[in-house]
Amino acid sequence: MKSEILYPGAFPMVRVELAEGEHIKAESGAMVACSPTIDIESKMEGGFLGALSRKFLTGEKFFFQTLRASRGAGEVLLAPTVPGEVVVLDLDGVNEYMVQKDGFLAGAEGVVIDSQMQSMSRGLLGGEGFFILKMSGKGMLALNSFGAIHKIELKPGQEYIVDNSHLVAWSTTTSYNIEKATSGWVASFTSGEGFVCRFRGPGLVYIQSRNPGSFGAWVRQFIPVSQ
Amino acid sequence: MVESTPNALCFSEELPPSGAPCLVHVEDHGLTITFFPDRDEAERRSESLRFSELTVSAGGLDHDQLVATWVGPTGQRTLYLKSPDVIRAFRQAAPDHLSQPLERAAEQVRQVRQRHRMVWSLVGGALLVVVLGLWFGSDVLVELAVDRIPVEWERKLGESTYHDFLAHQDVMKEGPAVDAVNEMIHRLTGQIPENPYTFEITVVKSDVVNAFALPGGYIVVFTGLMKKAESGEEVAGVLAHELNHVLQRHGLERIIKQLGFVAVVSIVLGNPPGLGGVMKQLGVELMTLKFGRAQETEADLTGLELLYRAKIDPSGMITFFQRLAEKDEGRVEWLSTHPMSNARAERLKTQLAEMPKQSLEPFTFEWTKVRASQGALPSTPP
Repeated sequence: MKSEILYPGAFPMVRVELAEGEHIKAESGAMVACSPTIDIESKMEGGFLGALSRKFLTGEKFFFQTLRASRGAGEVLLAPTVPGEVVVLDLDGVNEYMVQKDGFLAGAEGVVIDSQMQSMSRGLLGGEGFFILKMSGKGMLALNSFGAIHKIELKPGQEYIVDNSHLVAWSTTTSYNIEKATSGWVASFTSGEGFVCRFRGPGLVYIQSRNPGSFGAWVRQFIPVSQ
Repeated sequence: MVESTPNALCFSEELPPSGAPCLVHVEDHGLTITFFPDRDEAERRSESLRFSELTVSAGGLDHDQLVATWVGPTGQRTLYLKSPDVIRAFRQAAPDHLSQPLERAAEQVRQVRQRHRMVWSLVGGALLVVVLGLWFGSDVLVELAVDRIPVEWERKLGESTYHDFLAHQDVMKEGPAVDAVNEMIHRLTGQIPENPYTFEITVVKSDVVNAFALPGGYIVVFTGLMKKAESGEEVAGVLAHELNHVLQRHGLERIIKQLGFVAVVSIVLGNPPGLGGVMKQLGVELMTLKFGRAQETEADLTGLELLYRAKIDPSGMITFFQRLAEKDEGRVEWLSTHPMSNARAERLKTQLAEMPKQSLEPFTFEWTKVRASQGALPSTPP
């Protein structure tokens, strides 16, 4: 399986080459085009209950699509819904990543997707909800973001502060606390940041350069109010 | 065969920032760390560490990983162990000077897990209490809310619907039918102690067999229903039933239930003004409001008692209900909102049988004349 990002930037597409018999799973609706040798199947990853919990708990889609090169080698073109960069990670079996609910684009068959419960404070204040996706296993994992993706590399003990709505994915060797953006409650909200995550290394944190929630609020002001 | 799947991540200045996958073996004297275990023999690098070199703690996102640090030739190195088997082996093999920090790390993991479990069970318990409270306590809440709504409001609510309805109907202003209905209402309302309602009653010229009461005391009787009745007592039975829907505030209870929990809470906690607008919107729906089975039974039984106190023959009520149900000739709309069941009739009969016999006072009008005034044929069996 080989993957390549076409048109890097705001409107990228991922091309995945599959050998005969190989398959990948992708977010439902992610497929743009594919070779005629590819079969598209719909699958509830993790069984019915797993899919159900993913749907209701993380807000992710109930079905993932499986693209299988069942009749010979072929290629698949995948794209996310929102404009923004795509990053391809190679999971090695030990590195695990937590991914915010809209961040998953596609994964190789060896990638295991779980929805995992967060702690109360992270769930309430982290802006990711109580359940997020945990990616483990081995193989290619494509994540997408809103805006550009920026990688923060943290050495052991190194700290970094991230606005919670800009998070895309972070490795499970990191840890983070939710805190107010400034020392005062009022200033925390008037500064426009509210809560932030204080990450502590070692590990990687992927962030997106735009905040989907803020963008939505910005667009809303131009939408005429219907009676 | 040499095991080659990495089971840990090692971090340091010269290793990749995402950590270098490595294979950790726990031995008697310490750890053996093999870097790049899945590559060729030539590329693998192994390091041996004595337990005495290590300091340990808990780390990672959920504090469930064992973190071992030591100072290597190129500076500080940190090892993240996740596999439960390796962690167990490490704890078993570790010498005394590590057992204390290991115990601390394990305690930290236990505390984090316990805290998670406690918080979630608290939240789950609270949710359960709310759900159960709503399930079993909703009727109590509805009654509480209904009690807080002044009769004046109820009147306004019913009034607008009543006038809107009558605006499109052929209203009978006077005549024997109107006089007869007024007499029945007068007899019945005279027996209601501390009546907060001023009942307003209108006879509508229509073949529809129906009669209904709106919140606040507005009652509409269709001439179709009067034509079907064979005696004044039968109509009085329907009226007694409808009057009690008003008196027991059944309409209001249904509205509150339809408005839902938010409205109930806002009334109980005392924010009634905002509700006025919503209730006005719902006014249209008042016409199609169906009462619950419990409410029907309540109106039946209290209606029966009211008839008894007014010295009007209560058996008229039962026979009329039953006859309407048997002869389903269409357009008997009263039945669609008041489904008649045998159980209901039986219940009324039992109740009636328990009441002591008393002398009845007949109405001053002659029912045959009242019916004739509406163009109905004198009562002959079909």
